[in-house]
Amino acid sequence: MVDFPKVESNGTIKETTLGSGDKAFTIGGESAYPFHTFEGKMPHAPKLAMEVWDIAPSEWATELNVVFGDVYQDPVAWAKRCVELGADAVMLTLASTDPNGNNAPAAQAVETVKKVSKEIRSPLIVWGVENDAKDGETLRAVAEAIDDRPLVLGPVVEGNYKQVGAGAIGYKHFVVANSPIDINLAKQLNILLGNLGVKDQYVLMDPSVGGLGYGLEYTYSVMERARQAALTQGDDKLQFPLFCNVGKEVWKTKEAKTSEQQEPTWGVAKTRGIAMEAMTTVAFLLSGADLVVIRHPETLKTVRQYLAEMMQ
Amino acid sequence: MIVIAENINIMSKTIGPAMREKDPKPIQSMAVKLAENGADYLDINIGPARKGGPEMMEFVVKTVQQVVKKPLCLDTMNVEAMEAGLKAHNNQWGAPIINSIMARPERMDALFPLAQKYQSNFIALLYGPEGLPRDANERGELAATLQARTMEAGIPEDRVFYDPVVIPVNSQQQQLLGCTEFMMMLPDMAPESKSTCGLSNVSNGAPENLRDIVNQTYLCILRHYGLKSAILDSLDKRILAIAKDKNPEIDSLIGKVIDREPIDLAKLSKAEVDYVKTARLLQSETLYSDSWLEL
Repeated sequence: MVDFPKVESNGTIKETTLGSGDKAFTIGGESAYPFHTFEGKMPHAPKLAMEVWDIAPSEWATELNVVFGDVYQDPVAWAKRCVELGADAVMLTLASTDPNGNNAPAAQAVETVKKVSKEIRSPLIVWGVENDAKDGETLRAVAEAIDDRPLVLGPVVEGNYKQVGAGAIGYKHFVVANSPIDINLAKQLNILLGNLGVKDQYVLMDPSVGGLGYGLEYTYSVMERARQAALTQGDDKLQFPLFCNVGKEVWKTKEAKTSEQQEPTWGVAKTRGIAMEAMTTVAFLLSGADLVVIRHPETLKTVRQYLAEMMQ
Repeated sequence: MIVIAENINIMSKTIGPAMREKDPKPIQSMAVKLAENGADYLDINIGPARKGGPEMMEFVVKTVQQVVKKPLCLDTMNVEAMEAGLKAHNNQWGAPIINSIMARPERMDALFPLAQKYQSNFIALLYGPEGLPRDANERGELAATLQARTMEAGIPEDRVFYDPVVIPVNSQQQQLLGCTEFMMMLPDMAPESKSTCGLSNVSNGAPENLRDIVNQTYLCILRHYGLKSAILDSLDKRILAIAKDKNPEIDSLIGKVIDREPIDLAKLSKAEVDYVKTARLLQSETLYSDSWLEL
């Protein structure tokens, strides 16, 4: 009998339970590389969230409009649709607050969060517009307004971690620590959050995502490196579940949005974006993602099937 | 170790204007300070010097050697300025060093004839046609290219300082291992040659107040692997003390980290613990973050 070489792990990813009640789920807890259950433990299957906006998106791909167009005006109905379609969690993006767009005040966005939070029992991620200052303000207001359930707040970055972090500590919310595809900055932000007093089990790491053909390999390498340090160097500042916001990056590409009339040689438009979203998701699952945000229900189905086989 | 002072540099806020305005005072007072601190060579970095390069180099070389009896290390991409510097250099205290000859055909074609003609030393920079080498083997290949040209030119090997190209720990931490690994290969490849590096680049981008300890620690590590010389901040007296073997305690402590001997941190002073943590960082045992000393 041949003795296969095995990677010895001397660290474990922290376990984090998101949500409460029967819709709650736990992620993390790995003591081996993704799906390497012959080397260690992977106690929880990665989870999939679907994305909802607080205002109707005007530039989403046709394939997404077909599925969600009728509920774009109603974030609560949209969130419910995601749950019906099988999403483990819902991510509510407060797109209305974008200073380059509607620039809605934080207080107004908070009202939408309240409504969705009341109607949706699945774990709820509340996402900003990737503007440090505005997100700091909005997410802080959300943290304080929703005091009856834990939310997941992000993106939290070096420019606003104190503001959002302090709100999260006070009201027991989770934070998604986002860094710009840089392993060293990712570690530094985790240290800063720890110094601020955010407890380990309240932190998820978002390495920033590049979609397929748009820098996927950079994110993949950073995630791979994070897991190497976490598991083989016992680096406790990187032993956090990984969060990937895939949908947004994939569905903004021209490959996902362009019709067959415009580009007859690019293949079937109906499945092109979905295939890209599924491929990107699978690549990140293989490099350690614990929670992935996607947009299309067909992606959800495909990835679910993949996960079922991989977790056997 | 042979210390090459990096401080006479056109990027400096005091030296830069003095070089441009041909004002000898700030340059000479810096040169005297560096020599007093124990530098063996003074690097004269006039930058790309696209305009008036030869005049500037000649001026700085003569200005410095008026007050300091040291050989110089001439640092410019401008070939004409390099030649002007070699011509102006007083070799009474030793031959100058050309800084540098890259392993790129056009650079080698332009600069090997100068090294030959002026019988100077030169830094063989392991930077090739495709840019930075990615590991020790690529460094070895570039060194072999430069070595072949050195032989062709009939230049004795002991006039060559191989420079593995040190990169910042905060961006490409693991690649630093390529430098140390190359240092181990060098004695077999070119036993008579020397080695040097632009040491301070290792701490480029790290928090300003922590740059010195990174530089000092990496110097100890590279020396442990055989480095013979370094271009370094010669206003930092502690790094000079390390380079000149006046701080053997730190050196042996870092040696223990390299040899992976068990170290009881509880028995060390805060300063010693900081050296151990920094050495582990530079050896890629821990992943870089700006707060590495706090962990």
